Amino acid sequence: MGTNLGVRRVATVRPDDESFETLFTAEYARVAGIANRVLMDQHEAEDVAQEVFVDFHRLHSASAQYAPAWLHRAAAHAALNRLRGSRRRQKREVAQAAEESDRVLDPQKLFEVSEDRRQVREALARLAPKPAAVLVLRASGLSYAEVAQALGVGIGQVGTLLRRAEAALRKEVTRGTSL
Amino acid sequence: MAHLSDGTLRRMVDEPDAHGADARHLESCPDCKARYGTVAGDARVISTLMTAPELKVDVASAFNRVRTAPAARPSFGFRLPVMRPGSRPVVLAFATAVAVIALLVTAIAQDSNTFTPQTLTPVPVTMADMQALSQLSAYGTVSWTKQPQPQIVTSADEATSISRLPVPKVATLPTGVSSTVTYAAMGKATAVFTFSTAKAAAAAAQAGKTLPPLPAGIDGAQLTVTVGPAVAEIYGTINAAAGSDPTQAAGMPQLIVGETTAPVATSSQVTVVQFENYLLSQPGISPELTAAIKAIGDPSTTLPIPIPVQFATSSSVTVQGVQGLALGDNTGVGAGVIWIKHGVVYGVVGTIKRDDAVNIANQLT
Repeated sequence: MGTNLGVRRVATVRPDDESFETLFTAEYARVAGIANRVLMDQHEAEDVAQEVFVDFHRLHSASAQYAPAWLHRAAAHAALNRLRGSRRRQKREVAQAAEESDRVLDPQKLFEVSEDRRQVREALARLAPKPAAVLVLRASGLSYAEVAQALGVGIGQVGTLLRRAEAALRKEVTRGTSL
Repeated sequence: MAHLSDGTLRRMVDEPDAHGADARHLESCPDCKARYGTVAGDARVISTLMTAPELKVDVASAFNRVRTAPAARPSFGFRLPVMRPGSRPVVLAFATAVAVIALLVTAIAQDSNTFTPQTLTPVPVTMADMQALSQLSAYGTVSWTKQPQPQIVTSADEATSISRLPVPKVATLPTGVSSTVTYAAMGKATAVFTFSTAKAAAAAAQAGKTLPPLPAGIDGAQLTVTVGPAVAEIYGTINAAAGSDPTQAAGMPQLIVGETTAPVATSSQVTVVQFENYLLSQPGISPELTAAIKAIGDPSTTLPIPIPVQFATSSSVTVQGVQGLALGDNTGVGAGVIWIKHGVVYGVVGTIKRDDAVNIANQLT
């Protein structure tokens, strides 16, 4: 019979667990902010942010230099993916907006705001992943240098990517609204 | 001076003070001025469109949620960073089958209580086998006394310091394989599987199947399997590591060279013959698998490598002076070679030809 069977509960603290907490504290608000920029929903944004951190922690060392850039990129892509797969959600929101508009003083205005946001999100979902990510990261307050790191491009390219992405989004929004 | 690019104009919208010569050009060029107007106008509109409701986060409680997230790790077998999301169910079933076969061999090797393989042998596994075997994990509780923690590291030295295994060096890469290399490492991981007759009965009832008669004493029997440490060199892109972004999954690694200490298993409470018969009496196990397992001459020193019959062919080759197992063909779609030497299991797999895999294997230092 086996002798080596004492089931010990070994603490599974990794040497870099402490640096993971530091990284989490430093970056969580920003990572959630990036996801929120796409999803415009606190609950979903935090869901994405937590997923991103768990994924990161499983495979990477928290003290890695590329950690913040990795997290920013992953947050943008994960949120955009969720957006692309959420047709059902959009239907629910239209219903929700209509419901909310019954309760507030200026229902027409509220409905318009919510309608705008829905259209922007639909347009974002139609953009290619890279331009969509550039827009989201820059709108989330990342500097040109940070956007460049997150997307793995030279800092000199960010202006060009951003300009093209803005023109593309504008076109998409216009197409969507038939204005 | 040439006209300013759209990219430069766009950056000037955000950083108006940081562009000496460009700013002077803009001032004097009606053409660029007009384009600047369009660019700045678009930027303003997009900035308005991209506003989002303010976010109030509680970082401390978010951290607690992440720390206690139970879904972070599968209950049995661990995810490789290279796995495509779409292939996960099959691979998980496969991983479970591998784990269960390791347990099976452990049981067969009971006479010596420990299983430390010296040689390996292919056993054919069908999809039905995988399904049947993966249900076995519902027949008890799996607990990791040491969780597998595969990590991407930045250098071969770091990989060695985590795993205490030397990282194998590839002499020459086949043409078409990127020389971009990533290192991964994992320390030792230990899982304990505890049989529970109650859980087994419940699982069988839920699946609408009748449980084969349980041998006496199997309730509470424990099997301890230790895997790793392990190191791997991954050639090609592994952007898919995030696992959350299918758009990046196209960049699959082209070649993986891995090395791991052979699994070690110990067991208690069940006898060889009872356990072997019990597992092989599960509904769905193919006669081929049963025959292959029963044909293993010295089970205490042989590691069975499950070969999914629908997907791969295997043949015997000599690698580094020992008998190894080559998988796949020479079409370049995918091939690999696996061998065991001095208690260490080596593998070379990739989207390469079988002969290339064998060559790389023979030239590893």
